[in-house]
Amino acid sequence: MTALVLGLVLASYAPQQAGSALLDPPREARVQALGKQLRCPMCQGLSIADSGSSAARAQMDKVRELVAAGKTDQQIREYFTSRYGEWALLEPPATGMNLLVWLLPLLLLVGGGVAIARTMRRPVPVAPASPPTPTDPEEKRPPSDDPYLEAVRAELRQ
Amino acid sequence: MTRRGLWIGLSLAAVTAVLLFVLARGFGRDPHEVPFQLRGKPAPDFTLRRLDTGAPVKLSDLKGKPIVLNFWASWCGPCKMEHPVVSMAAKRYGQEYQFFGVVFEDTEENARAFAGTPDPSFPQLMDERSRMAVDYGVTGVPETYFIDANGILRDKVAFPIDPRTMMEKLAALKQAPGPVSEVVR
Repeated sequence: MTALVLGLVLASYAPQQAGSALLDPPREARVQALGKQLRCPMCQGLSIADSGSSAARAQMDKVRELVAAGKTDQQIREYFTSRYGEWALLEPPATGMNLLVWLLPLLLLVGGGVAIARTMRRPVPVAPASPPTPTDPEEKRPPSDDPYLEAVRAELRQ
Repeated sequence: MTRRGLWIGLSLAAVTAVLLFVLARGFGRDPHEVPFQLRGKPAPDFTLRRLDTGAPVKLSDLKGKPIVLNFWASWCGPCKMEHPVVSMAAKRYGQEYQFFGVVFEDTEENARAFAGTPDPSFPQLMDERSRMAVDYGVTGVPETYFIDANGILRDKVAFPIDPRTMMEKLAALKQAPGPVSEVVR
């Protein structure tokens, strides 16, 4: 605990800078949407739009600069993948090996559905002769040696 | 074994094989490691201001001698350990290579205090708002990039560089083949 407190007190941090000036609402919406698709290099699991790190801010500035320069969304994604690889994309494209990630769950779902359907369509096996029901008191039964049981049967037959 | 049992067995084996393949690929590499995509490509051009003189430095004017770019910041602990390594290399090999420090996400005041007395063999450049760092695919500091005499990015070290690694990378930089290529703009 002491080490944590000392670390927090003595550690140095990057001086925070504000992001570049926002664009007009439609283009700024594109900037934010693209920022949500790009992975922050310093914080791993976050997008650059959601991260407060200095590196993410610098990348958001770059997205804004490219949008302002009239680049398409695809060109902007390519700018980042040409530097950071597909790693830069939070959602990998459905091509090549990545197709497995998209298709495997679907295949398992379809396979499971087929297995369930086949099981349900299978004819129910003929059950062994069922025991006599109380509604069929006249059914032939072997006489019992037990006088009490015979008395009950006689009673039921009346 | 019935035909149906054989099919089920084969299907399970296929699914397991695919899963093992995907997992082997996934666990076979460090998920935190960002790929270096610019290897073998023309180094993105830049014009940055020197911290000591304020004079502009343009990459495309520097062709003819291999270049070492070291990204650092005063708030970065490992950069403090690494700085003397790059500084010593610059003093020793400054005739054959051009060494530049690039200040990443820092104030000029802090950078000056960190860099100490200006060293002509290892000039420091201010990268305003980290535009140039993003062009190079920098993911944090310290990082060191090696550009050959033709302006081609040959290598990158994404950890505090040690003297041995520095010497290996410098030697490889001199041997690096590659056509003269236009600098990326």
